[in-house]
Amino acid sequence: MNKFATVIMAAAAATLLVAGCSKSDSSKIKVGFSQVGAESDWRKASTESIKGEAAKRANIDLTFSDAQQKQENQIKAIRNFITKGVDVISFSPVVATGFEDVLKEAKEAGIPVVLFDRAVDVSEPDLYKSLIGSDFVEEGRRAGRWVVENVGENANVAELVGTVGSAPAIDRKKGFEEIIKDHPGIKIIKSQSGDFTRAKGKEVMESFLKSPEADQINVLFAHNDDMALGAIQAIEEAGKKPGKDIVIISIDGVKSMFEAILAGKANCTVECNPLIGAQLFDVIEKIHAGETVPSYIPSQEGVYDTKNITKEVVDGRMY
Amino acid sequence: MNKTSNRFRHLVWPLVSLALLLLFNAFFTDNFFKIEIKKQDSAQTVQAPAVPDNPPAPGTSWITPENYENSSDSAEAAAKTVDQAGQAAQAAAEPQQAPEKNDGKGVSIFGYYLYGTPIDILNQGAKVMVLAIGMTLVIATGGIDISVGAVMAIAGAIAALLISMLDAGSFPGASMGPAIYWIIPVVAALVLATLAGFWNGMLVAGFGIQPMVATLVLMVAGRGVAQLITDGQIITFDNPGLVFLCNGHALFLPFSVWIVVTMYVVAGLLTRKTALGLFIESVGNNERASRYAGIEARRIKWLTYVICGFCAGVAGLLAASNIKCADSNNAGLYLELDAILATVIGGTSMAGGRFFLSGSLVGAILIQTLTTTMYMKNVSPAIVAVPKAMVVIIVCLLQSPVFRAKVLSIFASKAAKGGVQ
Amino acid sequence: MKKFKFPMRYVPISATILVFFVVYLIGIISFDNFGSPKVFLDLFVDNAYLGIAAIGTALVILTGGIDLSVGSIIAFTSILIAKMIESGCNALWAIALALAIGILFGMLQGWLIHCFSLPPFLVTLAGMFFVRGCGFIVSEESIPIKNDRVFDFIQNDLSITLSKGLHLRFIVMLYIAVLIIAIIFSQRTRAGRSIYAIGDNELAATLMGIPVGRTKIMTYTIAGFCSALAGVVYAIYLKAGNPLNCVGLEMDAIAAVVIGGTLLTGGVGYVFGSLFGVLVLGLIQTLIIFDGRINSWWTRIIVGLLVLAFIFMQNLITKISKSKSKSH
Repeated sequence: MNKFATVIMAAAAATLLVAGCSKSDSSKIKVGFSQVGAESDWRKASTESIKGEAAKRANIDLTFSDAQQKQENQIKAIRNFITKGVDVISFSPVVATGFEDVLKEAKEAGIPVVLFDRAVDVSEPDLYKSLIGSDFVEEGRRAGRWVVENVGENANVAELVGTVGSAPAIDRKKGFEEIIKDHPGIKIIKSQSGDFTRAKGKEVMESFLKSPEADQINVLFAHNDDMALGAIQAIEEAGKKPGKDIVIISIDGVKSMFEAILAGKANCTVECNPLIGAQLFDVIEKIHAGETVPSYIPSQEGVYDTKNITKEVVDGRMY
Repeated sequence: MNKTSNRFRHLVWPLVSLALLLLFNAFFTDNFFKIEIKKQDSAQTVQAPAVPDNPPAPGTSWITPENYENSSDSAEAAAKTVDQAGQAAQAAAEPQQAPEKNDGKGVSIFGYYLYGTPIDILNQGAKVMVLAIGMTLVIATGGIDISVGAVMAIAGAIAALLISMLDAGSFPGASMGPAIYWIIPVVAALVLATLAGFWNGMLVAGFGIQPMVATLVLMVAGRGVAQLITDGQIITFDNPGLVFLCNGHALFLPFSVWIVVTMYVVAGLLTRKTALGLFIESVGNNERASRYAGIEARRIKWLTYVICGFCAGVAGLLAASNIKCADSNNAGLYLELDAILATVIGGTSMAGGRFFLSGSLVGAILIQTLTTTMYMKNVSPAIVAVPKAMVVIIVCLLQSPVFRAKVLSIFASKAAKGGVQ
Repeated sequence: MKKFKFPMRYVPISATILVFFVVYLIGIISFDNFGSPKVFLDLFVDNAYLGIAAIGTALVILTGGIDLSVGSIIAFTSILIAKMIESGCNALWAIALALAIGILFGMLQGWLIHCFSLPPFLVTLAGMFFVRGCGFIVSEESIPIKNDRVFDFIQNDLSITLSKGLHLRFIVMLYIAVLIIAIIFSQRTRAGRSIYAIGDNELAATLMGIPVGRTKIMTYTIAGFCSALAGVVYAIYLKAGNPLNCVGLEMDAIAAVVIGGTLLTGGVGYVFGSLFGVLVLGLIQTLIIFDGRINSWWTRIIVGLLVLAFIFMQNLITKISKSKSKSH
């Protein structure tokens, strides 16, 4: 039965892979974190921030799981964290719906949950202790305000929306529209989803630029920098000047976008801070110690455009 | 029956469908056929001096290693760039900047290139067109390869990784700069992809494993491998050489189109001017009989998978070059299905046997036209799948002899009834 | 004394079960709490929808065909149910409608495949695209299912609490029930044995007088039903519907079926094997999550290698049994 031997050997190899695991150390705070995936620079940066911060703190024992942008993987991860017996669960939900049952399980097991970056849509508010993240609506508002102040009263805006149904996409759109509804001259004439990725952003922008309204577009509002960077490529290929013919404003504040603004290819980026590893673990420690924490903790963010971006700022950009 | 009409019969339905689609667009989509002739803004600053005096060419990154690594000057350089660009933009509404020097890479003759939706279709569809070549040959032997999307991801990953490693190591102002460097990642990607094809061929031809399952292995594991290579990140790159693959232009058309044309010509010559095509068809038709006839069926099958892997490598490079980064999760996602669809629409039967490269080309163009039409109509990408599905079923039905027989019999009986009054 | 010969045909599935236990053992050794019964139950809860879908897929594969529309049907079903409940419809009607659509769609695919001799791969591929698009037409965003009496009843009252934190959920019981029915169907009923016959040699089956066309269409209908049922389970599992989810799930189902010992050429394998295929996949994922250090893309690589290992084994066994039958 040769194949049995092969199977056993494969299993043995798997053992070696896994055998190096240490048994848990009960003095540390065991944290289970489920990240959305690795779909953008922003997400990369937040992962590094969290892992780096956990490594720095000797009292944190982090179990990190990457959901590859699939909701099922996150639910499985959280369930397994509960079984594993972590002290605190933290995650950034891929999508807002569908977590109710697993969060109830966590509550039943007495494990507090801290949300990061995005909110969940649940019927009971006490299923999670706190949400640390950006106020996406405010980010949309900031973008809207910048357009009003810097572009003027008349603008035809093309909007690159984020992943359909995701909290950032919905909220940022809401915030932006909230501000511009008081300015009738500013209209969104095109709006389509670029899925938060560079490739889609480029593709959708290409189709915008071939539509009949192409020449009217003078502002591009992208829900994230990656889509804007893709769109910049499309604009250049169409023979227009990004940053000049079409004013570009987006959200996230990644380094590549800063560089683009410095080079004059884009105009403004509203920061969405992913480097909140420190903040996250502070809150986790507080919760573990039994303190109460605010249910919403906004991250520190600013607005960056040509006025406040210099070479030094770009170099100092960590993500 | 006329020999010529036999040779092109398989193209009838795909071409008819394509024509209908284009007709639809002509009437209902503005600007669909509008093709402009654009002049390139400037040459690619591949061998640029320390301070670039040319704004970068469209489609290349505005940061090339040269003009950014001279860190102290780059802010001024960028500022100069911005100024020049601003002046140039103000000069005319049309893009008629002063033609800049070519860097000798044959970027575009006279600096002009065509721009418009049909060009976009060709550019975006290039990936599927290339994949369809390999897929046609594999399907012709009665097999299938569903791993091409994952192989694309692997190819893109290794190319991006190597170029970023090479670029990091390059020193500022090097005269023999990234112009040459890009060859290494391209070759590495193609070699790796071909090896993947070799692996598939080994499983199918060497071990006799069913093609669907054999390639399922790589499809499942391949993206994992790609992510292993990139360490789970999306690696971006700016190397002008790599970027040129999908964004550059040559002789009025995007360079990707030329890659497609070349590959089709080579594949066509290889299969029709040598006995290879005949062998492939015979193996697909009846493998046992081919063996008895003395054809090395195993080797032929193996070869088709190797070619398919190579094509996937080229497509992967195109995909990565298009967005200037390697996204292991999304590169080539579902493209294997498009390639299979293109092949089938083109007249090649999934059971194997006769294959039609020209048909696959038309099929790929049809699929891409459909997709682009949907985008232009502002249809959400996911809903695009619905008409695609219907087109596939309709074309399959039209090609199915059973269906045609049934339809004909309905007409025949009606005629008979009409005749016998 | 007659030597006991372990029947060749049980080897693949025995191997799967063996792998399952070995991996489980590794987990228990390496991690605290891995031995908790919760791990085992969680495997079922988290994979019930996949398991039910895999049952339908297994039956189709046994006839020598394939079904790629599984994932899309699950997503479509879940969003349809969610949307209907949101619009005020009674959940039971929504579920009934969803199952009916699944049955009809499966029947349509089966009809196209059999009556026009279209390749199952293409028909179900088109079906996949079509249904996915339909899901988006229903709703572009995910919709939660809130405050619905039926769903709350299912969740709270229909589950058996074994101990604190340990529940035997309804969807798990449903999965086991469907599995048992499917096993009985495939092994003990004429229709079930016809499926095996068709998968093994369609021509011979036709000549034998087996109603091939009817059976094939029935198989695809069952697969459509299983996918829709999996969608219902998914909606219960998430308490939401999402048109974007379950992309690529059909490949997981196929992998589970292959690991479970079923040959893709058809005619060989056990529906029971799909259970262990699903469990093994879930177990590997659990191991990786527990570890927390291995990057999750290793899951894909390991699953790929597992599929490979099982293919080799099946290949070997087929060769051995062929050479044995030749020597007789």
